[in-house]
Amino acid sequence: MVTREEIENIALLSKLFVAEEELDGLTKEMDQMIAFADTINQATDAGEEFDNINGLQNAFREDEVVPSYPQSEILKNRDGGVDGFFYVAKHK
Amino acid sequence: MLDYLAQIRSLQSMLREKKISCTELTQAYLDAMERDNPKLNAYVTATPEAALAAAKQVDEKLARGEELAALEGIPMTLKDNISTKDIPTTCCSKILEGYVPIYDATVWKLLKDQNAVLLGKTNMDEFAMGSSCETSCFGGAANPHNLDHVAGGSSGGVASAVGGNLAAYGLGSDTGGSIRQPASFCGLVGLKPTYGAVSRFGLVAYASSLDQIGPITTNVEDTALVYDQICRYDPMDSTSKGAEGNTLSHLKDPVKGKRIGIAKEYLEGLKPEVEAAIQQAMKTYEAMGCELVDISLPALKYALPVYYILACAEASSNLGRYDGIRYGYQADSYLNTHDMICKTRSAGFGKEVQRRILLGTYVLSSGYYDAYYKKAQNLRGSIVRTFREAFDHCDAILAPTVPMTSFPKGFTSQDPIETYQTDICTVPVNICGLPGVSIPCGFGEKGLPIGMQLIGNTFGEANILNLAWQFEQATGGEFNKKVEGGLAL
Repeated sequence: MVTREEIENIALLSKLFVAEEELDGLTKEMDQMIAFADTINQATDAGEEFDNINGLQNAFREDEVVPSYPQSEILKNRDGGVDGFFYVAKHK
Repeated sequence: MLDYLAQIRSLQSMLREKKISCTELTQAYLDAMERDNPKLNAYVTATPEAALAAAKQVDEKLARGEELAALEGIPMTLKDNISTKDIPTTCCSKILEGYVPIYDATVWKLLKDQNAVLLGKTNMDEFAMGSSCETSCFGGAANPHNLDHVAGGSSGGVASAVGGNLAAYGLGSDTGGSIRQPASFCGLVGLKPTYGAVSRFGLVAYASSLDQIGPITTNVEDTALVYDQICRYDPMDSTSKGAEGNTLSHLKDPVKGKRIGIAKEYLEGLKPEVEAAIQQAMKTYEAMGCELVDISLPALKYALPVYYILACAEASSNLGRYDGIRYGYQADSYLNTHDMICKTRSAGFGKEVQRRILLGTYVLSSGYYDAYYKKAQNLRGSIVRTFREAFDHCDAILAPTVPMTSFPKGFTSQDPIETYQTDICTVPVNICGLPGVSIPCGFGEKGLPIGMQLIGNTFGEANILNLAWQFEQATGGEFNKKVEGGLAL
């Protein structure tokens, strides 16, 4: 059984605010979802080590310098930024 | 007259024979979108300027007597989680409000380089999390076969647009069935390629070890054509495998003697009309000289919870990047940076996305990691082995795509677990990184389409599309039903 406190903690780790009036409903929903996820623990099959799906291995290459996206392009989605940086006001 | 069973080839012939110019064709689609999109809600962004500019290039090329590339001049659409330079890419989430990518996804670059005509970006469940398209911040997309029903999800907008004749084809993404399920609901063909066949660069990540981009079309030939053009090695995607997209030349191969695996686990809990259509499809394959082989996939029992644990875990990590600092929505007022990030995320993400982030964070958190995430990873290993063993006995697996036909609008919001259960037939393909194609195979109540799935071994796209094409031919395309509306040629 998942508790309200656990959900509050998970929400904090997820950087999500949950309004006080929504907490009971969300705890109930999460309890159902976790109970559903927990059905895997009924499996008698211990499973086997799984790494990745298509047999990938680390492949190293020479570290070559290639052009990056220009700073001005990257900052476009924040009105061009300030002095080449992303700008976030301390409070608003 | 447009051939619905070979739409792309048919449209290109019309362009080559100058029966219609590419500009006229594009304008006809744009006009149809303006007229029909309000009832389908398939498109969330129309891109008429880009479309007409590409069409002009094609017309100039035709005037010079030059040959057209495979998809050149064909009006199409992209799901709104595929990055398009200078065109908004929202994932149908408030949190990406106003975001305009500065680069193209590799799949779009490949198509743009051959003058594909992008009509617009299509609707989807927010961040591809859903089965009905209704978690979209723009509202859901309607099913062209019955407007009171959903187009499916998460690539519901692509299916609604292609099924509603508002695009010749589209690209969607499939993490747990998001191409195949809406294709099934809308009577279309949808291919989820082998993991690593198609580059994920520029696809906004949901669950990176499961996501793949693939086509949704009206027929199998078009799916093969599109797949062959997007299956490329890409150094920008570290999981890209560099397979050869060579399915088109194998469509007409004989299928006599091919072994089709039937797993009883896939046939449990189906709506009777779906079961009847699948049984009929089995008979059709038998009549074509294929051998039906009973196979067993016991690990399938845990596929759904394994999928939800792994997908949510990966999503909780991938969606950590949305902090309101670099792009998209940012909270209007806040006390400090932490407050800004939390307020941005809480107001920017919808409820289903928040639920999945919370579940993902839970299963990865200290004390629960071994019981959930690690256990699910190990069971993923078992499911992969089960399928590998099954392919020792058969060449492809036949299964329903979804246990039922399209839901009525609003059905899915009532119970999240009940909604998750509808993904039971599609998630194993993603868990195992296998290719799966959904093709139409019948109609249920209210004329709603039924789809079936052909699952192939790794990089077995040519084999399953061959089986799919031969089925389409054997049944005379009777299940690929064109609906009224949209482009009329």
